[in-house]
Amino acid sequence: MNARLLALVPAAIAINLVVGGLVNAVGLPLYLDSIGTILATVLAGPAVGMVVGAIGQLLFGLLYGYQWIPFGLIQLLIALLAGAAAARAGFRSTGRTVAWGLLTGALAGSLSAVISYILFKGVTATGTTAVVTLLRHLGWSLPAAVTASSLALDLVDKAVAFVLVGALVRSLPGRMLGRFPRAARALGR
Amino acid sequence: MTARPATLASRAHPFTPLVLTLCIAITALAAAGPLEAGVLYAVTVALAVISGVGRAALRALVPLAPLWFFLFLLHGVMGESPRIDVAGLALSEAGISLALAQAARLGAIATASLALSASFSPARFIDAAAERRWSFAASYLVVATLLALPRFRARAAAILDAQRSRGLRLRGGPLHRLRAIRPVTFPLLLGALAEVDERGFALETRCAAGVTARTPLAPPVDRPADRVVRWLAIGGAVCAMAWRVAG
Repeated sequence: MNARLLALVPAAIAINLVVGGLVNAVGLPLYLDSIGTILATVLAGPAVGMVVGAIGQLLFGLLYGYQWIPFGLIQLLIALLAGAAAARAGFRSTGRTVAWGLLTGALAGSLSAVISYILFKGVTATGTTAVVTLLRHLGWSLPAAVTASSLALDLVDKAVAFVLVGALVRSLPGRMLGRFPRAARALGR
Repeated sequence: MTARPATLASRAHPFTPLVLTLCIAITALAAAGPLEAGVLYAVTVALAVISGVGRAALRALVPLAPLWFFLFLLHGVMGESPRIDVAGLALSEAGISLALAQAARLGAIATASLALSASFSPARFIDAAAERRWSFAASYLVVATLLALPRFRARAAAILDAQRSRGLRLRGGPLHRLRAIRPVTFPLLLGALAEVDERGFALETRCAAGVTARTPLAPPVDRPADRVVRWLAIGGAVCAMAWRVAG
């Protein structure tokens, strides 16, 4: 791993862990805990994004409890999908970025629903679980309630995360893009 | 992040609490019913107290409380029939058993990880990793991130205050709030990328990426007791998994 990547990975992990707190201040039921993973993937490729996702989840476990470790699989999936998006100039325009974000949200939400249902019996983060409880109260079965709440939240969450990273990369000066050639490819340049 | 040197947990070799935590997590996943999971939770709390990081058990209650509440609500109250009467409440028999088992599993894992966090010293960990000839990059990434977190948190708080003082409103409908995300997150992300640039140069000039192995000046002592505890924990976790698979 070269020196620039050694500097990028801790910053991207810190972004994953800190941006959630900023979003809480805005009062939206979003996680945005994958912005660092997507950013690292766009700048340096999916392997670096997966390292960010894996180490970030390990450190999140150290700080908030290792019960959330299985959700690390979602970080790896996001890195793979962001890598696919970057390779196909998926960050060239807002429209393309939203489409890739929605695709990632659908797949990440499906995986999240499976993990939530099998390992956590439907009880995970407070916002998602509140939606699950409401749907159960309305007569939905537990698997259906878990799937619906995970999908709905992840679709919005990943679309917003992709749009933010796309806007950020498009606004970077050429000098910085020159240091991360993969980012230029993600923008179709 | 660093525990007071007097505690047993902070005197142990840095790998011992790490292995113990991972083994507790594996054993918790293998615990089939509320009794086994409850015993594991009690043992974990006792271990934390004996190791001098008993406050972790109290700190773990903060993330655990909402999870326990929703487990009780979703499975105990809204679970399937047959129902049993508990203190005047008609609760699902299978649901309350599932909720108790899951609550104890989560309790054990959260307590163990926060106890690990309370005893974790980045400097001792990097020395222990260097002594085992782990790659410099791997240990640097863990420690650099732990050191970066407080800096990023402080910067995020400063950005939030600055944007508010410039008139950014964080209230209103969902669309209004969604629009507020960009001015709040962008400065943090751009600042992080500028820092990556500077640190990249600094690491390059120190030839950090080329370091294959370094010799720690005073590596943490790996006592026989540490090794025994680690092997006992691994043995216990393997037995618990085997018991679960066989049963």
